[in-house]
Amino acid sequence: MFNRLNAYRIMWVLVFFDLPTETKKDRKQYALFRKRVLADGFQMFQFSMYIRHCSSRENADVHLKRIKSILPPKGHVGIMCVTDKQFGMMEIFRGHDLVNGPETIQQLELF
Amino acid sequence: MIKRTLYFGSQAYLRTNTEQMVIELSESGEIKSAPIEDIGVLILDHQQITITQSLIAKLLANNVALITCDNTHHPVGLMLNLDGHTLQSQKFQCQVEASVPLKKQLWQQTVEAKLVNQAAVLKAERINNKYILNLAQKVKSGDSDNCEAQAASYYWKYIFPDFLEFRRERYGPPPNNLLNYGYALVRAIVARGLVASGLLPTLGIFHRNQYNAYCLADDIMEPYRPFVDKIVCQIIRGNGRFLEMTPSMKKMLLEIPVMDVLIDGQKSPLMNAVQRTTASLAKCFEGKGRKILYPVLE
Repeated sequence: MFNRLNAYRIMWVLVFFDLPTETKKDRKQYALFRKRVLADGFQMFQFSMYIRHCSSRENADVHLKRIKSILPPKGHVGIMCVTDKQFGMMEIFRGHDLVNGPETIQQLELF
Repeated sequence: MIKRTLYFGSQAYLRTNTEQMVIELSESGEIKSAPIEDIGVLILDHQQITITQSLIAKLLANNVALITCDNTHHPVGLMLNLDGHTLQSQKFQCQVEASVPLKKQLWQQTVEAKLVNQAAVLKAERINNKYILNLAQKVKSGDSDNCEAQAASYYWKYIFPDFLEFRRERYGPPPNNLLNYGYALVRAIVARGLVASGLLPTLGIFHRNQYNAYCLADDIMEPYRPFVDKIVCQIIRGNGRFLEMTPSMKKMLLEIPVMDVLIDGQKSPLMNAVQRTTASLAKCFEGKGRKILYPVLE
């Protein structure tokens, strides 16, 4: 009954970057880029690594496109898409302890 | 894409930062955030929710249906942006001017679709559904013979196992609570779908209770009700007579918006199907179509 939206259709978009912070201008560009990434609904996963949950491939495409449109003039940016299935198989450690990854966002949430 | 629906039933402070909605839950001290562009419906159902003006403005700019409830948890207001659809005023006009025969035909289609879906639920529960299938073929324009009620009396009598001695009443004993919960979700989804299609959810085609703000939503959700019933049947199969709401039941009901439905020969999540239904309804009002697209329960 619930096949249409599944772990293979839900996508996570990952953006990771190394931006120069030598000059004041560089730092400004970096801060601006980071802010725009946040404004697009990404959350920090690690330093310089941001992730976003997208409910479908089509939706992921929107955010891929949007990131490409705000790329900073200098620096190194990687964008990657993985399915929720693949993302869910990731193992995350804090020290030696296995910790839970970010939760998949529900279509309907009660607070 | 499927938009998110957020329901606030506890104390919270809602504000905005970098195009995100920031949710500060006072009870747990938790801070969460959600992208505003991903939200479809926002329901505020607690007396101690604080919301900032800039958040409201951003929500409306993103076509979010902002619903507020009173102290009895009934929705009292629906705040929507002034231009939910580019041709809003034209669409409102068509809806207001819709002729009585058209409305009756639309209601006929709605009842037919509902009965067919109810029959499908009965079939899935291995209950004889011939009576309702027969009724579904006899629905007249405007449902003048009230086939809907005839079907309902049979449907509610047999749908749930005998040991529950079920009677459908809004404030009745379980599983009424599960049904109400599910229907409330579907209603919110339908109301937003209507607004996104440029229709007024208040002006119904059949329901016209002067106290009801969502007459059209109540009309259009009818064929979607059996999908909720199906989930409730599943819950009953798993829980027997212990049907006070538990988190696991809530979770099953929460999945209704992403439930697979068959609409126009295609599988689609229920929330997207609702949008197709409301879009086809808008076309009917404008005279560009004669048929509302309704989902079929398999």
